[in-house]
Amino acid sequence: MSLPFRSGPPFLLSAALLGGCATSEGVRNPSGVPVTEMRPDERGFVAGTGIEAQDMVAVTDRMARSILGIPQISRAATPPSVVLEPVVNNTRFPVNKDIFLTRLRTQLNSKAFGRVSFLDRDLMKTLQRERELKRSGQVTASADPNVVEFGGADYFLTGKLDGMSTRTAAGTSDYVLYSFRLTDARTSRIVWEDSAEIKKQGLEDAAYR
Amino acid sequence: MRPTARPRAFRGVAALSRPLFALLTAAAGLPGCATAPDEPRAAVRGEAGVPERDRVLHACRAAATALRTGDYSGAKARLDDALARLGGLIVDDAAAARARSLFAAEDTKVFVGEPYERVMAYYYRGILYWRDGEPDNARACFRSGQFNDAGAQDERFSSDYVLLEYLEGLATAKLQGDGTDALARARVLAGERFRLPDHAPGANVLIFAEYGYGPRKVAAGRFGEQLRFQIQDPPSRSARLVLHEGRTVVPLPAYDDLGFQATTRGGRVMDHILGRKAVFKAATNAAADVALAGSVIAADQSHRRELRGKEGGGSESAAVGLGVLGILGKVVSSATRAEADTRQWDNLPQRLSFAALRLPPGEHSGRLEFLDREGRALAARTRPVSLSVAPGDRDTVLFFSELSR
Repeated sequence: MSLPFRSGPPFLLSAALLGGCATSEGVRNPSGVPVTEMRPDERGFVAGTGIEAQDMVAVTDRMARSILGIPQISRAATPPSVVLEPVVNNTRFPVNKDIFLTRLRTQLNSKAFGRVSFLDRDLMKTLQRERELKRSGQVTASADPNVVEFGGADYFLTGKLDGMSTRTAAGTSDYVLYSFRLTDARTSRIVWEDSAEIKKQGLEDAAYR
Repeated sequence: MRPTARPRAFRGVAALSRPLFALLTAAAGLPGCATAPDEPRAAVRGEAGVPERDRVLHACRAAATALRTGDYSGAKARLDDALARLGGLIVDDAAAARARSLFAAEDTKVFVGEPYERVMAYYYRGILYWRDGEPDNARACFRSGQFNDAGAQDERFSSDYVLLEYLEGLATAKLQGDGTDALARARVLAGERFRLPDHAPGANVLIFAEYGYGPRKVAAGRFGEQLRFQIQDPPSRSARLVLHEGRTVVPLPAYDDLGFQATTRGGRVMDHILGRKAVFKAATNAAADVALAGSVIAADQSHRRELRGKEGGGSESAAVGLGVLGILGKVVSSATRAEADTRQWDNLPQRLSFAALRLPPGEHSGRLEFLDREGRALAARTRPVSLSVAPGDRDTVLFFSELSR
C-alpha cells in the first residue's frame, strides 16, 4: 500500500512549524517608540524622560538672554553684584543642581561684558582666612586689610525645578518647569523671573515592559 | 544463524536511505554548532569582564555591598552608573529585539531588573544623597522609585511603597515645604498594618534599616517561560536600635516588604512574548514528532514494497521529506528560547525600615536588635553599634543592614 502523502503534508507541517514565529504578535509597538520632544502645550500620547544636558543648555541660554534684557542690569550705573543661591530640585530626577547656576553665571559673564558681577560666596571661608592672615601680618597685603572690601549682594539669583510625571501602559511622560528669579537684596522684591518648560514622552521596548 | 529479529519500527528506520541517514546524523549534530560571537565587554570601574548587558546588575550588587561595608563613594559611583541606564527609555535596541525573537533567550537583553529592583537602586541612591546633605535630590530618588513602581496590573499595588512616600514628605518638610500630602498618602498605603509617626523636621538623625532576604526569581512553566518569585520567611520581622544603655529605644518596624512588591506587580508584556515562544516551541516539537513518525512509517512501507519486489511508489521520497522536516522541526524547537530572564539583584533585603530622631551631637553607642515574629530579640543577630552625630544643620544619616554583603 502506498502512503497518501507526497508533498501536501510536508507543506502543511512546514506551515505549522513556521506559523508561530511571530512571537511579538499582539504586542503594540514591540520595538518601542523613540523619545520625542514636544511643546508643553502639545497633547502627547504619554510618558517621557529626564533632565538632560541639552535641556540645561537651552534653559540657561534662554535665562541668560532674559536677565541681560532687564533695566536693572542693562541700565545700571554701576554693575550690580549678584550672589547665586542653590537651585531647589522639586522633580523626580536627581540632578547636579550647581551646573545650572554655573552655566548661567558663565553665560552672563561672557555675554554681559561687565554689566553684571558675581560674588564668590563659595570661597568665603578661604577669603576670610586670607584676610586674617593679612591682618596678622603673616602674609603681605597690597591694600589695607582692615578695610572691609568684601562685596555685598545687590541681587540674589536662584531657581527651582518642578516636575510632573505620568506613567501608564502606554508610556512615560515627564514635564519639567525650570524657573529662575532675581531678588533685590535690599527690598526683597523679585525684579526678574522667567521660566522654561520641557515635556518629553516615550514608550520602552516591549522587552522591558 | 539468523539474525535476531529487530523491532518493526527499527526495521523502518534501518530501511531509510543512506543519504537520509547521513542527513539525520548531520542535523542532530548541528544545533551544537551554533555559537554566538563574543559579547562586547563593559569597561566598568573595577568590573572587568562584565558583559555590557549585565552592567547594571553588577553595579547594583556591588553598590549594595559597598553601602553595607561603609564604602559610600563606591556605592554612589556604582548606583550612578546603574541609574544612568535605568533612568532612560530603551528603544530600537538590538539586544531587546533579539530577546523578543524566537531563538534568543530573554536574558540576552540589557538587564534593567524588575520594578522592585529598580526601586531599590533609587532608594539606595536617595539615602546617599541625603547623607551628602542633598535632601531634594534624595526626594527626587524616592519619587523616581515610586514612579518605577507605577503601572502595576492591579491599581492597588501601583506606587505603593509606604516608605518612599513617607520619605518624600519628610524631605519636603525638611526643605520648608509641605509634606503633609505625602504623609497622608503614606498612611493610606500603610492602612491598618501600622501607624506611621508624624514627620519630625527637627530630627537630625535618620536611620535606614533593612533585614531579611529579598525575593528570588525562578523560571516556571514547561519551558521556564514564566517568571515567578520565591519569598523566604526569614526570622527577622522587625528591629530596634537601643541606645544609651537602654534609655533610648528606637523602633524600626518593617514599612515595606520587597517580597510583597515583587509578587504584586502582575504580568509583563514580555510574559506574553515568552508565552508565545513556549507555544511555538511546543508546537514545533509536536509537529516534528508527527513528521518523524510519518517518516518511519513511510520508510517501512517502502521497505515492504521492496521486499515484495515492487517499486517504492513514492514512499521513500516521502520518508526522506518527512524525516528532513522532522529533524528541522526538532532543531527549530530546541533552538527556541522561551525561558524567562532570572538574572537578579541577589543581595537585596526583604524588609525596609526607617526612623528619625533628635540626638545631641557627639558619639553614641548601643546595639541593634533584630526581632522575631513575637518581638523577641534574636540574640545571634544582635550587634553593637556606635554612631557619631555631626554638629550643624546637616542630618546624620545611618544605614544598618542585616545582610553583610
